[in-house]
Amino acid sequence: MHQLKQYSVAETLEKDLGDPLDPNNIMSFKQVVDIDETEEFPHSQIEWLYNWKLQHYYVPAECGGEFTSFEEFVAFVRVLSRRDQTIGIAFTTLFWSFITWMSGSDEQKQKLANYIKNEQGTMCLGYSEREHGSDLVGGDLTAKKVSGGYILNGEKWPINRATISGISYILAKTAPEGGAKCLTLFMVNKRELDPEKYYNLPKILTHGIRASDMSGIGFKDCFVPDSMRLKNEGDGLEIALKGFQITRTLCAAFSLGAADTALRTTLNFASKRIVYGKTVFDLPQPRQTLVDAFLDLLICDCETIGSARGFHVVPEQFSVWASVVKYFVTTQLETMINNVYVVLGSRFYMREEHDWGIFQKVLRDNSIISMFDGSTVVNLHALILQLRPLTKYRSRRKSNTMAEIQGRLETIFSLEKPLPTFTPTELELFGRGIDDPLQGLEIALQQLEDLKQTSDLDEQVLENLLQLGNLVLEELDNHDQLIANSKFEYGHDQSPELFEIAKKYCNLHAAAACLHMWLYNRTILGDFFAKGEWLVLSLHRLLRTIRHLPYCLSEIYVENTAQELLKLYKEDKLFSIVPFQLAQSQSPEDKPYATSGLQLKA
Amino acid sequence: MWLIKQLAEQLSHDPSTIKVSEPLTRYGLDSIDAVTLVGDLEDWLDMKLPDTLFWDYPTIAKASQYLAENFDITGALDNLKAEELTTVVPNNKASENLAENKKGWGGLFGRFK
Ligand SMILES: Cc1cc2nc3c(=O)[nH]c(=O)nc-3n(C[C@H](O)[C@H](O)[C@H](O)COP(=O)(O)OP(=O)(O)OC[C@H]3O[C@@H](n4cnc5c(N)ncnc54)[C@H](O)[C@@H]3O)c2cc1C
Repeated sequence: MHQLKQYSVAETLEKDLGDPLDPNNIMSFKQVVDIDETEEFPHSQIEWLYNWKLQHYYVPAECGGEFTSFEEFVAFVRVLSRRDQTIGIAFTTLFWSFITWMSGSDEQKQKLANYIKNEQGTMCLGYSEREHGSDLVGGDLTAKKVSGGYILNGEKWPINRATISGISYILAKTAPEGGAKCLTLFMVNKRELDPEKYYNLPKILTHGIRASDMSGIGFKDCFVPDSMRLKNEGDGLEIALKGFQITRTLCAAFSLGAADTALRTTLNFASKRIVYGKTVFDLPQPRQTLVDAFLDLLICDCETIGSARGFHVVPEQFSVWASVVKYFVTTQLETMINNVYVVLGSRFYMREEHDWGIFQKVLRDNSIISMFDGSTVVNLHALILQLRPLTKYRSRRKSNTMAEIQGRLETIFSLEKPLPTFTPTELELFGRGIDDPLQGLEIALQQLEDLKQTSDLDEQVLENLLQLGNLVLEELDNHDQLIANSKFEYGHDQSPELFEIAKKYCNLHAAAACLHMWLYNRTILGDFFAKGEWLVLSLHRLLRTIRHLPYCLSEIYVENTAQELLKLYKEDKLFSIVPFQLAQSQSPEDKPYATSGLQLKA
Repeated sequence: MWLIKQLAEQLSHDPSTIKVSEPLTRYGLDSIDAVTLVGDLEDWLDMKLPDTLFWDYPTIAKASQYLAENFDITGALDNLKAEELTTVVPNNKASENLAENKKGWGGLFGRFK
């Protein structure tokens, strides 16, 4: 078991699910690909997870469940998603329950906890409508007040698990004239409705997550009692936006799981396939591509794990942080998967040939993550509206502000430190310009300086880190200048250039998260992590997209990182800054790829 | 009045065309913008306000009435005037602060454009 106990649930789940390469296991690659082909909902796999009692980890401890930390949560969702995102996403719609944990009455919470834990209950999120996707306030589904409740009319579509779920969170219009207070959120329990008054829409055929219950739900003069309303009439948008702060952060876990499999299955190929007398992995270009993919995972890990912990410490900052994670991690890993398929070669396009064609399924399934729960543009837009307060706040920091940031950064990023209980009531609709990771960048640079006094670090690594860290600061200062001197507009007509500026902000944010993660955990995450060569390469990788830098900083660092990647691969460990043990593969010698002899014949 | 001036500026509208009883959404303000606008107001008055202020009180008339009843607006505005004087007449301290920030804040971030 890993020394950090927040990873033990994920490790145990891994062990019990068994090696995904063994076709007999319940969520083996063979099984999940077969499920995908049939496009039928994976009932028995979901059942298995309920019997394992994973649902308890979706219910907060104070509501009678086992959920204690987002860091733990992210780790086990990753374990599910590395086998199958379809199942991972289907099971994790349970996470919408956080809407109730956040805004429900005690009675609503109790009822829901019981439903999840004892009745294998699940939920779906009904926000989108056919005519209105991202525009929640524009929705047409109405709730008309009547004595004792409301009458619902309208449809929600496309909704994951709309048909196979007992509870639907339905965002409905209670004030026809519109405005920010026109929506009310209902926790609709289908079992308590007149079955004649609601209907499920047919399964939607999708390119990925094919075995999902993608459908919709409609209401026709359907009565729902007041007891199903969350908070007050008009509070719907506020709850929805705060709920998104939670789930957007967690979407990163789906992407991280998928990216692990994409890289692992490519390594299965690249470390065995012989071309021109050597393995693919031994050719410099594919090797660099795979090392870069590994770095992408480590970078996204720092951003994701940092945010998962940050949620417990600075929930009031998540109108910014959640947007950064949802945009950055999902798109970075989408690109990473696209980069490695070149190394997998033609097999990436075949459905049965290599590891049951899992790569293609990952590619298809994963591409929805950056779209749902707020698309890339929606997240960047949310960030754009906050760039000016962020810049302003940063310019006004005083020494006491810096001391406070430092204290918080330490709790957020030190993985050994206990976390306070998550308090969703402290979420805010806008962050008042505060963003600890980037606003604490100077603290990290000072800590790097201080490390010069300690002898355990390679001088060259430290020198590199200081140089790159200062470039991040320079870019951040440039960013602030740009924002300070730009004209700010409200609304949806933001310039395309601002979207690029927001992307860059996310990039710098990730760089800062990497620095903090390393500084606070140097001595507890193993030698490879401690040496910091990966961090030099990661900062270089992030900065290279922003400014002109030499192609390679050190071939030795790249080589050492390649060796670590191979080591984790051979030992069946997660590609992560916390490389916990995965289920061990039984058959290290699976079918050989063409030997060089066969190659010549071909 | 102060609120009209501030909002007109934020929304690039002529103050004389803004009616206090019209919902702010008429002036192109989206739900999320309305939240960010609270931030600007907080900044200007130097006090913490509820983030759903303009959701709950969607016209200038309603918002200013709410503010006047629940916050010490006169005090805040007085402070503001005093501060305005010190920024308009640059003294050593103000220029020191500027140097410390190493940034020439464009008109955008000045409290008054
Ligand atoms: C597989 C799948 C599962 C889903 N699951 C759910 C679910 O469980 N529950 C649910 O409620 N919804 C769900 N959705 C819906 C999903 O959240 C919406 O598709 C998404 O919000 C985008 O909406 P849209 O496609 O209608 O795009 P629209 O809102 O119609 O936007 C169209 C285009 O306009 C542009 N645009 C939109 N907003 C902005 C902006 N602010 N700035 C700049 N450009 C912008 C973008 O280019 C965008 O793609 C799911 C969708 C899919 C495909």
